[in-house]
Amino acid sequence: MTLPVLSLITWAPFVGALLIMFTARRRPLAVRLIAAVTTGISMAGSLWIYAAYDREAAGFQFYEKLPLVPPLGISYELGADGISLLLVLLTSIIIFAGVFASWTVAVRSQEFYALLLTLVTGVFGVFVSLDLFVLFLFYELAVLPMYLLIGIWGSSGEIRPRGIFAWAYRETGVGTKEYAAMKLTLYLLFGSAFILVGIFALYVNAGAASFSFLDLEAASFSPAVQRWVFLAFYLGFGILAGIWPLHTWSPDGHSSAPTAVSMLHAGVLMKLGAYGIVRIAMGLLPQGTSDWVWLVGTIATINIVYGALAAMAQTDLKYVIAYSSVSHMGIVLLGAATLTEAGLNGSVFQMFAHGIMTGLFFALVGLVYEKAHSREIGRMGGFGQAMPGIATAFTVGGLSSLGLPATAGFVAELLTFMGAWRSAHVWWLFPAVAGTFLTAVYVLRVAKQIFWGPPSPHFHHLEDARGPEWVALVLLVAVLVLFGMVPGIAIAPVDTATVALLSRIVGP
Amino acid sequence: MPTPDFVRAFLLELGLGALLLLVFAANLGLRGRDRRVVGWIATGGVLVLGFTSFLVAPVPAALGGMFVQDGLAIFAKRLFLGATFIGLLASLGAPEIAFARRAGEYHLLVLSSLLGMLVLASARDVILLFVAFELMSIPLYVLAGFLKRRDEAVEAALKFFLVGSVSSAVMAYGLSFVYGAARSTDLAKVTLAAASGHPLVTLGLLAAFAGFAFKIAAFPFHMWVPDTYEAASTPFVAWLSVAPKAAGFVALFRVYFEGAGERAAAWVPIAAGLATLTIVAGNLMALPQQNTKRLLAYSGIAHIGYMLVGFAAASASGVAMVLFYLVAYVFGNMGAFLVVEAVARAEGSESTAALRGLAQRSPLLALAMLLFLLSLGGIPFVAGFWAKLYVFWAAATVGLYWLVLLGAVLTVVALFYYLLVAKRMYIEPPERTGPVLLPPTLALAVLLCAAGVIVLGVYPKPLVMAALRVAAPLF
Repeated sequence: MTLPVLSLITWAPFVGALLIMFTARRRPLAVRLIAAVTTGISMAGSLWIYAAYDREAAGFQFYEKLPLVPPLGISYELGADGISLLLVLLTSIIIFAGVFASWTVAVRSQEFYALLLTLVTGVFGVFVSLDLFVLFLFYELAVLPMYLLIGIWGSSGEIRPRGIFAWAYRETGVGTKEYAAMKLTLYLLFGSAFILVGIFALYVNAGAASFSFLDLEAASFSPAVQRWVFLAFYLGFGILAGIWPLHTWSPDGHSSAPTAVSMLHAGVLMKLGAYGIVRIAMGLLPQGTSDWVWLVGTIATINIVYGALAAMAQTDLKYVIAYSSVSHMGIVLLGAATLTEAGLNGSVFQMFAHGIMTGLFFALVGLVYEKAHSREIGRMGGFGQAMPGIATAFTVGGLSSLGLPATAGFVAELLTFMGAWRSAHVWWLFPAVAGTFLTAVYVLRVAKQIFWGPPSPHFHHLEDARGPEWVALVLLVAVLVLFGMVPGIAIAPVDTATVALLSRIVGP
Repeated sequence: MPTPDFVRAFLLELGLGALLLLVFAANLGLRGRDRRVVGWIATGGVLVLGFTSFLVAPVPAALGGMFVQDGLAIFAKRLFLGATFIGLLASLGAPEIAFARRAGEYHLLVLSSLLGMLVLASARDVILLFVAFELMSIPLYVLAGFLKRRDEAVEAALKFFLVGSVSSAVMAYGLSFVYGAARSTDLAKVTLAAASGHPLVTLGLLAAFAGFAFKIAAFPFHMWVPDTYEAASTPFVAWLSVAPKAAGFVALFRVYFEGAGERAAAWVPIAAGLATLTIVAGNLMALPQQNTKRLLAYSGIAHIGYMLVGFAAASASGVAMVLFYLVAYVFGNMGAFLVVEAVARAEGSESTAALRGLAQRSPLLALAMLLFLLSLGGIPFVAGFWAKLYVFWAAATVGLYWLVLLGAVLTVVALFYYLLVAKRMYIEPPERTGPVLLPPTLALAVLLCAAGVIVLGVYPKPLVMAALRVAAPLF
């Protein structure tokens, strides 16, 4: 009997949530310590499986299975391959950092941490589940607490709506946290309806009375089924991955969410969508994938350019970061759509790099907001003198975002572009590169305006990050640079999974 | 001459009859303005009958095939008794003076209606079916106007009565055609006549379908629902929203499916069309509601639509999944109404605004309400998820993918208005401080509903298996 390490990683935060609800009433420090320890356990576990994964054997390892509803073929079946390994690691790093970044949440902090940890269990569960039905349950668990997290602890935008639609924005409450929470929840549940129908269609058509990924992988589906079900999965998971034009929940949601939730949502939850497309849609429906890659890739290029242009136009710092996520998720999906080894590796690596990067950005924005009580870029300036640590971290993140060599972002983008160059649609390369250029424009402009420009007269007594907040910043910057310098440590396990995936779609 | 077999077949009905007489006698014997003891007798009696129902085993048909005590009947009777128990328990602590002074009247009416449901679940004969339907419905009209000093209650009762009588008349008219063509009131013979494709039987059954649609409040026969729910007393409405609907579905299964086999598929287009209309209309009309009871009324209409999806599957698994859905709906919907009742007693308002900040005032009550709403919305880990999942499943296996997708997408609309209520409770600040106090009987009723929602959500398998078992012989 080996240690069920994947279950340990998945359920440790949930146990933490239960402990917080039942033992730590009105003791804020205990709440935070429980959260830090349980997410720390998950992080240790995910580092351990990362090291212990047998790259020669490849495939799904650390396998666990427990039948839940035998007549229907539902079982609790876990396993991790190269792709899930990296994403589990990403999740554990982000949540560990997120616990420290939200150390100062004062209002109803007990419920905040309990919901946050419950949500993380859902995220881990999606990444390691091999049973599609259980995966769906975990998916819902990852989506639903978001409504309360944003609705209760979020912040409403302070910049009044302007322009010809201003009255409509005011009427519907655009920019308020309630609006954002509702929009996000409904979009994602709308997507999950398609996912559920897709899972059923596979189950019924496979005729194997099993929801197991491994059994469904062995089944063969007719071309018509493949075509329709791929579309259902692409739409369902794509909403969470922020595909244009269904991305609009993301800027509103991420801007209104509290710091740790933005980190987790932009950093990890959007990857759930991309992971779903790569693992389930592409992994189970090779024919459907070949039929639809043109659509996936084209929409991805729109994402890259549109997200970057929209980010340039924003005056609210959080919206800039949120739109940059939309742009970067385009790179993830573009890499997957190239159907090349380099492209897929780039796609998975970008999921990781963007997760860390965006987590870092949202942590920093949260800190800046907490000190300066403003998110309006135009009013800020010269913060670098008062908060050199935050300024440095922001610059590193920004450089990674625009793909400077020696950062993780560079590796991901380079691989994706190489993939696009070798793919059947070479023209994808041009909007993608143009998007990177636009990213450089808005990132540098924001960094210069806020941190390095002349000091703004509006702000006094600004402070740098303190105590536990440093843990989050240092951890994320270190990971970003480490994976940029030595990308091999991530590419090697990922490659074992992507090659197998590709051989099913385009043949060996 | 009553034989042991006869007694076994009618055990629950005889027991309920005895309880009715007991309540009647107790009401006569009591003096004074407070007759709530009657309520305790009735509630206890229903609980005892509920336990007795687990001793009842299927027996051969009685009264020359008019009355059957099969698995479906027993399943449905347990559901009616359970729902009635929760409903009566919740009304025990009702503050209105009418409930204390006229307790005998109230409980006699509820129990007579319950008797109608019990007989209905077993009726295999057109006449008995119709009589049972009226025995169930007429007390409901009176009960809707029970708080007779309220103008709205009288109006609601009148509306309910008129619509209900018209629907009964349409149903009786349709059934007269059926009798004329089939030359028998026996449902088994009616099914055979329908199979031969006799146009008058089809016409008659179609008219009867409209009558049933009134009773279960499917669109466009739903107009009485919101007004009646809003004006009548809440514990009664909680019961009204589930038990008669369940009875209506059981009757639908008996008339249209039992013994029809393959030919049941003839009803698929009508059922699917009605399901589509009901889901869309119920969910869209629920959106602008500010009164929680009206909101639940419209959402209840949408739920009837989801159950019709299972009906439209016209298969044993479809019927079974509707039965499961009904049980989940009993717990989720009654629970939600009872929380509204608890808050309305404390705040004097049934609008959604009265729920503001409930999570900070009474965390457990708010959590219970959240569970009910999530269950109604069809979210995993609570009963409603499995209910929706299974009905969709049943529909998908017979190829109604479009209906499944439509239902799934409109679930999102439903979640919108359920989440608005959740927002009131969890996100908005409370207007007053201090917990919402509720009488222990009402608290127990809410607790039972919450337990039902959670247990079915975590471990639905036994009930699903039971439902599949009782539905299988129908086809």
